[in-house]
Amino acid sequence: MSSRRSRQSSSGASRITDDQIIQLISKLQQLLPGTRIQRSNKSSASKVLQETCTYVRSLHREVDDLSDRLSQLLSTIDADSPEASIIRSLIM
Amino acid sequence: MHTSSTLKKEFLKKWIKGLQICCSSNKKMDLMERKKKIKLSADIAMASAKNPATSWSNALISEAKKNKQDTILVNSLLGTESDLKPQKNTDRIISVHKRVQYKKILKRSCNAGKRMNKKKNLVATILAKRLVKKRTKVLKRLVPGGESMNEFSLIKEAMDYMLSLKVQVDVMRSVVTAAEVLSEDKLMKLVE
Repeated sequence: MSSRRSRQSSSGASRITDDQIIQLISKLQQLLPGTRIQRSNKSSASKVLQETCTYVRSLHREVDDLSDRLSQLLSTIDADSPEASIIRSLIM
Repeated sequence: MHTSSTLKKEFLKKWIKGLQICCSSNKKMDLMERKKKIKLSADIAMASAKNPATSWSNALISEAKKNKQDTILVNSLLGTESDLKPQKNTDRIISVHKRVQYKKILKRSCNAGKRMNKKKNLVATILAKRLVKKRTKVLKRLVPGGESMNEFSLIKEAMDYMLSLKVQVDVMRSVVTAAEVLSEDKLMKLVE
């Protein structure tokens, strides 16, 4: 307890408490998609971190996959010009 | 959410602009190259749509600027601003302080409920700490610019990054499915 106060930062308004860090981890947990509606407090920090990593990786994969699909779509359009006009106006 | 919809609009605007630039300039692109440009426009559009800029968005933009092939695309998306957007610096001052607190919290959360067996307690704490360290390392690699962050900022940035990625995926998905439906429609009419 005393060490916390002795290392107080110069900007007093930004003092961080232990609770804030716990809150941060639980907030992170709430952002994660989950099948259970109630997010229990039993998940440890390491589990939350692991789920975060998995989720970020899956989002990256989705972006990749969507870029792939769009690229294929645009390549097929280049060949046919009449039908392409609508899609072109949408994207280009 | 108010901020989420404005973010979506900003991202969509910038991404479409990026697509126009990259897809109209060179018609003879192979699939991989076009896909990379699409993805790059999406990432940069996302990063530049964040206002005020966060640490990860600045890291992403500066990383993209390093690649000389893409400077045209990057600069036109970012507009006249060549400098990075200002970022809140309050986190840096208290980084050491927070790291100590973070480790205390982890120790406490690991120890809670295991006061029966001291030996087990010690082993569990050590394992938990190792796991957290390992996972934090992985997260650092996933979040752009995460390598140079302390753990506290890393979690904050990770939360923001996750939300932005979700927005990016949602918008991209709508655009791509709409375009696919349109093209299918036209192709079906051709066949009939």
